[in-house]
Amino acid sequence: MHSRRIVIVLVTALLCAAASPSARQADPTLELRLAMVRDQIEREGISDSRVLEAMREVPRHLLVPPEYRPMAYEPRPLPIGEGQTISQPYVVAFMTQILRLKSGDRVLEVGTGSGYQAAIAAKLAGEVYTVEIFPSLADRARRNLESLGFRNIFLRQGDGYYGWEEKAPFDAIIVTCAGGHIPPPLLRQLRNGGRMIMPVGGPFMTQNLVFLEKNADGALSQRNVLPVVFVRLLGH
Amino acid sequence: MANEIFLIRLLSLRFWPHFVPLIISQAMLGFGASGVALHLLRPRIAEKPETIFACVVLLAAPSFELAFRASQHVPFDPFLLLWNPSSWPAFALFFFLLAVPFFLAGTAVGLPLSFGLGRVGIVYGASFAGSAAGAIIALLAFLLLPTESLLRVPLGLGMIASAFVLSYPGRRISAGRIVCVILSSLLLLTRPVPISLSPYKGLAIARKLPDARTLSVRSGVTGDYRALYSPGIHHAPGLSVRFEGEIPPQAAIFADGELRGIVPRNGGRTLPDYLGFLPAALPYRMTSRPEVAQFSLRGTEGILMAAGNGASSVTVVEQAAEYVRMVEQDLAKFSAGMPPSLRLEIRREGGRNFLARGGEKFDIIELADVSSLTFSSLGIHATGETYLLTRQGIRDALSRLKRRGVLAVSGWLKSPPRESLKILNTIRAELEQAGGGAVAERFVVVRGWGSFVVLARNVPFTMDELAAAKRFCRETGFTMVWPEGGTRNPDEGLEEAAFREAVKSALSGSPAGMQAEGLFDLRPVSDDAPYFHRFLKPGSLTKFRRILGQQWVPFMEWGVVFLALSLAVSVVLSVVLLLLPLPFVPQGRREGGFPVAIYFSALGLAYMLIELTFLKFGILILGDPIRAATAAVGGFALLSGFGSAVSGRWESPKAKRYVFPGIGVLAMGGFLALSRGVPFLLPTEEWVRVLAFLAALAPAAFLMGIPFPAALSRMARSGSAAVPYAWGVNGFFSVAGASVASVGSLWIGFHGTVAVGAVLYLLAGAVFPRLGSGTLSIR
Repeated sequence: MHSRRIVIVLVTALLCAAASPSARQADPTLELRLAMVRDQIEREGISDSRVLEAMREVPRHLLVPPEYRPMAYEPRPLPIGEGQTISQPYVVAFMTQILRLKSGDRVLEVGTGSGYQAAIAAKLAGEVYTVEIFPSLADRARRNLESLGFRNIFLRQGDGYYGWEEKAPFDAIIVTCAGGHIPPPLLRQLRNGGRMIMPVGGPFMTQNLVFLEKNADGALSQRNVLPVVFVRLLGH
Repeated sequence: MANEIFLIRLLSLRFWPHFVPLIISQAMLGFGASGVALHLLRPRIAEKPETIFACVVLLAAPSFELAFRASQHVPFDPFLLLWNPSSWPAFALFFFLLAVPFFLAGTAVGLPLSFGLGRVGIVYGASFAGSAAGAIIALLAFLLLPTESLLRVPLGLGMIASAFVLSYPGRRISAGRIVCVILSSLLLLTRPVPISLSPYKGLAIARKLPDARTLSVRSGVTGDYRALYSPGIHHAPGLSVRFEGEIPPQAAIFADGELRGIVPRNGGRTLPDYLGFLPAALPYRMTSRPEVAQFSLRGTEGILMAAGNGASSVTVVEQAAEYVRMVEQDLAKFSAGMPPSLRLEIRREGGRNFLARGGEKFDIIELADVSSLTFSSLGIHATGETYLLTRQGIRDALSRLKRRGVLAVSGWLKSPPRESLKILNTIRAELEQAGGGAVAERFVVVRGWGSFVVLARNVPFTMDELAAAKRFCRETGFTMVWPEGGTRNPDEGLEEAAFREAVKSALSGSPAGMQAEGLFDLRPVSDDAPYFHRFLKPGSLTKFRRILGQQWVPFMEWGVVFLALSLAVSVVLSVVLLLLPLPFVPQGRREGGFPVAIYFSALGLAYMLIELTFLKFGILILGDPIRAATAAVGGFALLSGFGSAVSGRWESPKAKRYVFPGIGVLAMGGFLALSRGVPFLLPTEEWVRVLAFLAALAPAAFLMGIPFPAALSRMARSGSAAVPYAWGVNGFFSVAGASVASVGSLWIGFHGTVAVGAVLYLLAGAVFPRLGSGTLSIR
C-alpha cells in the first residue's frame, strides 16, 4: 500500500508540474492526451476538428481526483466522489460533437461533476453555465476550472433540475444526471432551435444517449443516438 | 451460521445482493484455512488442545463484530476491481478480515474433531445443530433488531460459548479467560457501527442530497427499508417530454440501499398528473375502470397511477410486510394516505403464490421495472432468481387475466435490447403453447425515449384498443413499435430502428428466432433455471474481448464475470492452501492423501450443490430468499446434525453401501417431488409449503450428515493424522461448491445440478473403502 501511495504521489506531482504553462513544452501528459484523441476518439468516428482540438487541449488529469490521475487518459469512466463519475473520453467527445456548439452559444450543463465536460464545452461555446447539486463536487470543480484559467464557465451549487432560469434560454443543454426523465423546466429553458443531450444509465454505464432538438416553432423532436463504438460491437 | 446470514444482509446493504454471496463464499475460505492450520500446527496443538480450543472460542466471540467493523474501513470499490490492479490489495484485505471469524469458528469445530475432544459424530452433529439454531435465531433477530445491531447476536452467542470454556479441565476458573469475556462484553455496550454504503448505492447518493432527511426506517426478514425526503429527489422514470407540468415533492424508499418506490407528497389527496405521462400508463388508456393487479409495491406511485387513470380496484402483491407498513403507516402523513377513489388490497405473499391461488381475475396485471435504469445493465442481477418472469410465471399471470385482460410489462431499454425482447419471447412461447393462432395480434409494444411497455393478452387486440394506444402515443410522443403501421418517430435513429426490427423479428419471425445470433441469450427461461437477467452467451466472450481495452464496455455481463472470478479465486486458493502442507509430509507417507482429498472434496462440493439448489428452488416455494435460506440451511443443518449424531450406528459395511446411493436417490427424488409438486404447493398456506419443503429435503439431508463423521471415525481408528487436512479439504470445496452451484444452476438448471451432486456422492462412496488405508501425516 505504501509503495502504491508513493507512486501515486510521484505521478500526481509530475502531472501537476506538467500543468503549469512554463512546463507545457515538456508536458508529459500531452502525449497521453494526443494518443487518447487519436486512439479512443478520432478512430472511433469523432470527426469535428474543433471537438478534437478541445479534447487535445483540456488536461483531463487535472480534473479527476488525484488518486485516479494516472488513469485519466484511459478509455473508461472514473469515480470522482459522491457516487458520481467522469464519463469516458469518447462519450464526452460524442456528446459535444452532436451538440454542434458554436462560439457564441450559451450552454447549460446539469451536473458539473468533475468539470471536464464543462471545460470541453467552454472551448467551443461562448458561455457555459453549469450546476452541481453536491457541494463537495461543486467546490472542487470550481477550484480546478479557475486554476485552468476558464473565464467563460459559470458554476453554481444547487439543484440543476430547475436549470438556471435567469440565464435562459440556452442554445444547448447537457444533462448528466437526470433521474430517469428529462426535467420539464430544462425543456422550457431550451431556446427554439436548441439542442439537448442526456446519457441514460448509471455510474460507469452510459448505454444510450437521448438527443432532443427544439425546432423554430418550439416543437420537440427526440431520438436515441448510439455511440459508434457500441454499434461496432453489435456488428452493424 | 447467524454471522453468515447477517453478513448477507449487511453486505447487501453496503453493496449489491447478488454480488454478496460471492464475497461471503470467499470469506468462508476461512473454514478451509482452519483445517490447513490445524494440520500444519498439529504437533504444537497436540501439547494442549483444550487450552487452544478455549482461546479460539474466546477470540471467535468478538471477532464477528470486530471483523465487520474493520472491513468497513477498507476502501473497497467493486467497480475498480476489474481494471485497476491497485485496488486488489484492498479487496484481499477485505476478504481476509471477513474470513477471520470463519477461520476461528472453523477451528473451534475442527479442533475437537481432530484431537479427540469429543465423539466425532456428536461434535459434528452439534455443529450442524448449532447451524440450524443460528438460522432460526437469525430469522428472529431480523424481526427484533435494527440492521446495525444484527452482529450483536453472534457476539452474544459467542459469549455464551465462551462461558463453557472459562474453566480449565480441572475445574479451575481462569482469570485470563474471564478478562477476555469481559472485554468482549464491552463491545455490547458500544454503539452499533453505522453501515458504510458503497458510494454508488442509491441510498448513499440520496443521503448526500441537500436537506435530505430520513422519514422512516424499518427492517425485517425481507430487507432493510429506509424512506428519505429531499427536495432534490425527482423521480419519473421514462416521463414523456410532452409533460409540461410540475412533479410534486417526493420521498424515496430504499430497500437494502436501492430505490424501491416513490411516494409523492399529498398524492393521496391530489393525484399527480405526471403519472399519466409514463409508458406504464398505456394499458389504462385502453380500458375503462379496470381491476388491476400489481406485483411489488412501488411506494404509492403504482397505486396513484392506477387511481389517476380510472382504475376501480388495485390488488398489490408484496411480500415485504415491513415495507407495506412503512408506506401505509409511517408515510401516511406525507402521502396523505391512499386515494379514496379505488378499492385497494395489499396481499402479503410471494408473486407466484398469489398467481397460483387462482380465483379473482383482472383487467390489467402489471409487471413493472423488469429492467432497472442502472445496475441491471451491468448484469449485477444476472445470478438472481426471478420466478415471475419464467415461462411458468408468465403462464400463471396469463391465466389470471379476464378474457380481454392485459398483461403489461415495462422496463428500461438497453442497447442492445435485452429484457424487452426476452419478455416478448417468453410471452410468445406461452401464447403459442396455449394455441388459438394469430399470436402476433395479441401484442402491443410501445417505446418511450428510454423505456418500453409490452402489452399481451390471450385474445387479439381490437381496432378500438389499438386506436386508443395510438392516441396515447400521439399525446405522449411515444412510439408504437408493434403492431406495425403505428406512429413512427420521424427522427428515428439507428438504435430505435434496431429495436423495431428486433421486436418484429421476435413477434413475427420463426420460433427459432428466439435463439437468434447475437451477443445475448434471449431465450425464455423456466423455473428450472429462472435467471431472466442472465443474457451472456459464452460464444459472445470473444466479441467482448475484441473491444476490451480499447473502449469501456458498459453492457458486459459482470454478474456472471464476478461469479466466474469467484470460482477461479476459490479454486486457486484452495489448491494452493491444500498443497501447502505437502512439503511437511514425508515422501513415504503421502499415499493416503489422494483418497482423502477426493473423498472430502466430493463431499464438500456435493453437499453445497444439493443444499444450495434446494435453497434456490425454495425461493419459489416459500416466496422470498430469506425464508428459503432459513428453511434450507436450517433444515439441512438440523437433519444432517441428526445424521451425524447417529452416524456411529452405521458402521457395518452393508449399511455403508446404502448410504451413498441412498443420498443420490433421495436427493434427486426429493427435488423431483418438490418440482413436480409446484402447481399443488404454490397455492397452499405457508406452513404447508414449509413442511412440504422440509419433507422433500429431510431424507437426503439426514443421510448427508453421515459420510463426513463416518470417514473421520474410520481414519481415526486407522491412526491417520489427516483429520484436520480432511476438514480443510471439505471446507475449501464447500466454498467452491457455492460458486459451482450457481454456475450449475445458470447453465444446466437445478435438476442437472442436483444430479451432479448425487453423482459426486456416488464417487465419494466408491473412495470410502480406501480411507484409512494410508495416512497423510506430518509426524
